[in-house]
Amino acid sequence: MMNAPFLTRLWQKFTRSRVGRSIFRVGLPQSNLERSQAMTSSFLLHIQPAKVHKHSLKAGYSLGLGLISLYLFIILIGTGVLLMFYYVPSTASAYNTMKDLQFVVSAGLLVRNMHRWAAHLMVLFVLLHLCRVFYTGAYKRPREFNWVIGVGLFLLTLGLSFTGYLLPWDQLAFWAITVGTNIAGYAPVIGAKVKYVLLGGNIVGQEALTRFYALHVIVLPTLALLMVGVHLWRVRKDGGLSRPDEAGEVVEQIPPGQLPVNKSYGLMELARGTSPQVGKNPEDEVFSWPHLVFREILLFLLVTAVVLFLAIFWNAPLEEFANPIHPPNPAKAPWYFLGLQELVSYSAFWGGVVIPGLLVTALLLLPYLDRKRAGVGRWFARERVVANSIFTLCLLAAIVFTVIGTLFRGPNWDWVEPWRQPPAITEGH
Amino acid sequence: MNNGSMLRFYGWFTFLGLLVGGLVVLGYYKDEYREWKDYQRKFVQEEIQRAATPQQKAIAESTPVEVRQILLPELNRVDRCTTCHLAVEDPSYGGYEQPLAYHPQHEQHPFEKFGCTICHRGQGRATTTADAHGAVAHWDQPMLPLQYIQASCGQCHEAADNPAAPELAQGQQLFETSGCRGCHKLGGAGGNLGPELDKVGTRRSPEWLKKHFLAPAAVTAGSAMPPQKFSETNLEAIVLFMLSQTGQTAPGYYASMKVIPSADEGQRLFQQKGCIGCHTVAGQGGKVGPVLDDVGLRRSPEWMLQHFRDPQSVTPGSVMPKFGFTETEARALTEFLLHLRERNLASTFPSLMSPVERGREIYRKYGCAGCHGAEAKGSVPNPNAKTAEQVPGLIRVAEGYTKAELKSRIVKGQREIPALDPKRPPPPLYMPAWGAVIKDAEVDDLVAYLISLKPKGEDLGF
Repeated sequence: MMNAPFLTRLWQKFTRSRVGRSIFRVGLPQSNLERSQAMTSSFLLHIQPAKVHKHSLKAGYSLGLGLISLYLFIILIGTGVLLMFYYVPSTASAYNTMKDLQFVVSAGLLVRNMHRWAAHLMVLFVLLHLCRVFYTGAYKRPREFNWVIGVGLFLLTLGLSFTGYLLPWDQLAFWAITVGTNIAGYAPVIGAKVKYVLLGGNIVGQEALTRFYALHVIVLPTLALLMVGVHLWRVRKDGGLSRPDEAGEVVEQIPPGQLPVNKSYGLMELARGTSPQVGKNPEDEVFSWPHLVFREILLFLLVTAVVLFLAIFWNAPLEEFANPIHPPNPAKAPWYFLGLQELVSYSAFWGGVVIPGLLVTALLLLPYLDRKRAGVGRWFARERVVANSIFTLCLLAAIVFTVIGTLFRGPNWDWVEPWRQPPAITEGH
Repeated sequence: MNNGSMLRFYGWFTFLGLLVGGLVVLGYYKDEYREWKDYQRKFVQEEIQRAATPQQKAIAESTPVEVRQILLPELNRVDRCTTCHLAVEDPSYGGYEQPLAYHPQHEQHPFEKFGCTICHRGQGRATTTADAHGAVAHWDQPMLPLQYIQASCGQCHEAADNPAAPELAQGQQLFETSGCRGCHKLGGAGGNLGPELDKVGTRRSPEWLKKHFLAPAAVTAGSAMPPQKFSETNLEAIVLFMLSQTGQTAPGYYASMKVIPSADEGQRLFQQKGCIGCHTVAGQGGKVGPVLDDVGLRRSPEWMLQHFRDPQSVTPGSVMPKFGFTETEARALTEFLLHLRERNLASTFPSLMSPVERGREIYRKYGCAGCHGAEAKGSVPNPNAKTAEQVPGLIRVAEGYTKAELKSRIVKGQREIPALDPKRPPPPLYMPAWGAVIKDAEVDDLVAYLISLKPKGEDLGF
């Protein structure tokens, strides 16, 4: 690499120095051996295989949605910790901290904006990731359980966003959580109890704020982090990203007890369940360094740029101080629950309990119900037209109800057309 | 691994790295630029120009550019107004343009103890003009226009006590005599037809209030409140009094400072402390101490103050005990005694009044005039009421009711008002049940007043 860029040469110089060698076992890899060593010898990189299938790198296949979700989560942890340096979870101080962040803390507003937009984006991208996995049939054997973990992560994401929603303690927060927890209260038998435990009482108050704070900053993030770890681990152990079965490939279960313990097999990313891919078509695989790692870093930069851009130009909302006796009309839940709120407006039991309950159950059981292997690893495979149609219908319904709840519902949950000015609301005597 | 794909990577790294770096720089500058810094630099420039000696100049030049704030934990406020309004305490800045103007007459409300927003409202924590002055979305306390600033006095002080707030006192007077309490509760006393007014000053803007008084139904659809015919000055005064109703209670230190030693306060104290047990005023009271009607002519204010602190120090052998009055109380009592002659003492000694006089006061106090008209002459419209679409006047009730019947009508009220045309909406105004609000003895006085209204010397034609 005679005419390698300046930074590369500088880096090489550093890694060859005494200090550099003591930190990095392998310098900037020059050979294929070093490329695989770079992956296996680094703590941060070893969670990924030394070689990946070319198919996994195709942007058009995965769209990077899972990684984007992970990066948003990382940004959320970073900005969230910064916010924790200022935030006080008390009904008297919480709102004031929001104001201080905006008016006197250096970059306080920027950090809060980043946290807010990254949170909304994460809900969106986790959902998109779920859709991608469905439309490519990637949840099928041997990845059934990883799909279940993924659904859990989706619910955790909603939980994280929902618990964070209350923390600014403004009118938006107070009433969105009031509406949201009321929906939870519609569940039979346990609903009222769940609501009571969540709020630490019957209405949103200091106890609710304390609980939501604890859930938001320690319980749910720890769980999510753990499950993200398992999720990624299983991606590797289940044979990397899903892809179409290769021609002539024998897909068979390796009987337990005959699992290969060969070390090089381990290195070569051998998956349980399906036959080893390694050696089959070696030319289909490329070294993770740089093909995967570089792409990942670039994607992280892109995600950071988008979040920064949004945070610089659009401020996170902050309404009036929470006022339990003056509900806004209409009081709305966070946007991702507005479809649910719309359903609840027709029937609390059917809309608030039965339909969401069935949907979540269906998502969890999906890989065990839909077991045909045809069409795995291709978008909108013809063989999966029935499953895809059903999923698309459900998705469209969810989108339609959410859009109605968000844009077409005005005071008293009456129908309004967003392009028309709603009538001025005056307080009656 | 070919060089082409590596070069593509490097291209992307350069582009995205620069993009993120650029956005970080942009975010930093947007955050670094704050309009208050401009004002502070302007102030420093001004100070440097004014400096007469090199030392003063050095001090001015070393003034840090930083957020300034007044912490008011007892009021749960942080006022950062002085971040831009840097010269509020420096009289040499009198007549300067905002934000560098001096704030005159703040001696009685020192900034370090009161801050700014307790009187001026707005958003104390904010550090941009728009946000701080509070006329922004999602902030319900915009700055009070200066013409209404007296409303803030009424948050802590009794309106009538404050010689610096004559319009506020006028507003209160109007409220008590225009019959507002007939429908509205304030401080626990009043009717139920209209909303309570205890916090109306935080919920409504001056513009809204004005519109509302002139044409209630125009701003509140379906309001039963009759339009009020206030003169321009009276309208301003009643709006001001409404704005003063914020429902806030002054905490600790502030509560202890809120009493203004006025003659009114002195009169209340005179009554409370039982002075009349020993002293005679207006022919009422005990004979142990001297008659006080002319005391203001005989004694100086200084003598009286000293007397309240320690009676024996100015009148050796006096039997008057040391009551341990606070300085404020002593000053208020002195003020009262000095102005005794000019004052109407009836409200100090209700026993001085006849039942009919007391009844007239009660008629005013509970706002009967709001519906039944001044002096009970009627003519307040009540659309679709059988009684000529008006609330009936009461000057002839003596002809149709016995005392007991009148009393019962006041206590029980009348929810259903007979309609002229059953197809139209029912009459909006009705008679509330006053039993729970007006005391029994007061009802007797009220009835006496109503009976007394019968036109004198009129032949009833029997």
